[in-house]
Amino acid sequence: MFKKNTAGVDTARVKERLEEHKTKMKLSLKACAHCTLCAESCFLYMARDKDPKYTPSYKFINSIGLLYKTKGNVDKVTLGEIRDNVWERCALCTRCYCPLGIDIPEMIALARSICREQGVYPQYDRE
Amino acid sequence: MDISTLLSGSNAYDFIRGPLVWISFIVFFLGLIFQVFRFISMTEKIDHSVYNPRPRTKLPKLSLNAETISRFLTKTKLSIVGVNPVMVIVTTLFHICLVVAPLFLLAHNILLKDAIGVSLFSFSDCFADYLTLILMACGLYFLLRRFFVARVRAITTRYDYVMLFLATAPFITGYLAYHQLLPDYYRLVISLHILSGELMLMAVPFTKFVHMVFFFVFRFSIESEYSLGKGNRTW
Repeated sequence: MFKKNTAGVDTARVKERLEEHKTKMKLSLKACAHCTLCAESCFLYMARDKDPKYTPSYKFINSIGLLYKTKGNVDKVTLGEIRDNVWERCALCTRCYCPLGIDIPEMIALARSICREQGVYPQYDRE
Repeated sequence: MDISTLLSGSNAYDFIRGPLVWISFIVFFLGLIFQVFRFISMTEKIDHSVYNPRPRTKLPKLSLNAETISRFLTKTKLSIVGVNPVMVIVTTLFHICLVVAPLFLLAHNILLKDAIGVSLFSFSDCFADYLTLILMACGLYFLLRRFFVARVRAITTRYDYVMLFLATAPFITGYLAYHQLLPDYYRLVISLHILSGELMLMAVPFTKFVHMVFFFVFRFSIESEYSLGKGNRTW
């Protein structure tokens, strides 16, 4: 297998951040039943023609979930994809509703914070 | 030796219906206790004397008039029940049947009485049969939803199919065994029934089935606008 090119990413720091929140985040990720009942609570999902990529569960699975799945060994491209999920597809309005009580905004906020630390965030003046 | 011979062999059969039953109960209960304690360690009690953004007020007296009914209907329409009524009904039925059917099944209670001398109230076999059929229909609905609803398909992995199968397998095999629909393989089917039930129980605290505890603990004890109970704890 090819080794992931993690150049430009401080993976040790990413791992440290993941470790700090491990218990709650992993339990939350595990408890998600993948029911997608959270979808309609997201105004962006409703406004974007019900695009599945805007479902709150899709966003946290493919951001913080991905970071835990890869144990923090991520490259810049993956962080860029995570950025799209946590900034472009989420306004962090905190209105998402999970019937099981999963704290989705906190998961998105943690993914944002990790991306920001690694210099991956929307740069509106340059894009 | 193939799997059917192995499972219906007397050694495997005795192990599945003997020690493994107790092992699965122990893993299930200890696992649940572990998860609840872990949850308590992750949260703390709220001191409302310091900060109380949502002071609890006495509930208004329940009165049925046009205004209260209209308010209730508007709230329901905007809630998850109004937005996804079919899914809410199906999932509620599924979970009720999942717990109630095995717990109050006559055959299970006879085994319980033989083993520890006490048993629970039992449904008639016919009623338990209906509950099993409802559960299987709900399971099929979940499966079709995973296949055909785009947003569900987008986050579905093989793991979801395995867990759905694990949740419904004890009921499918139980139905096949009770009605002896595969008479030549009865021993195999009943072994699979017991084994799948045990695997399901052991999986509850450590897999996505943990939402069984998560739901009650989080929705009833964490304070938020979606709290269902007192909500006197915070992360």
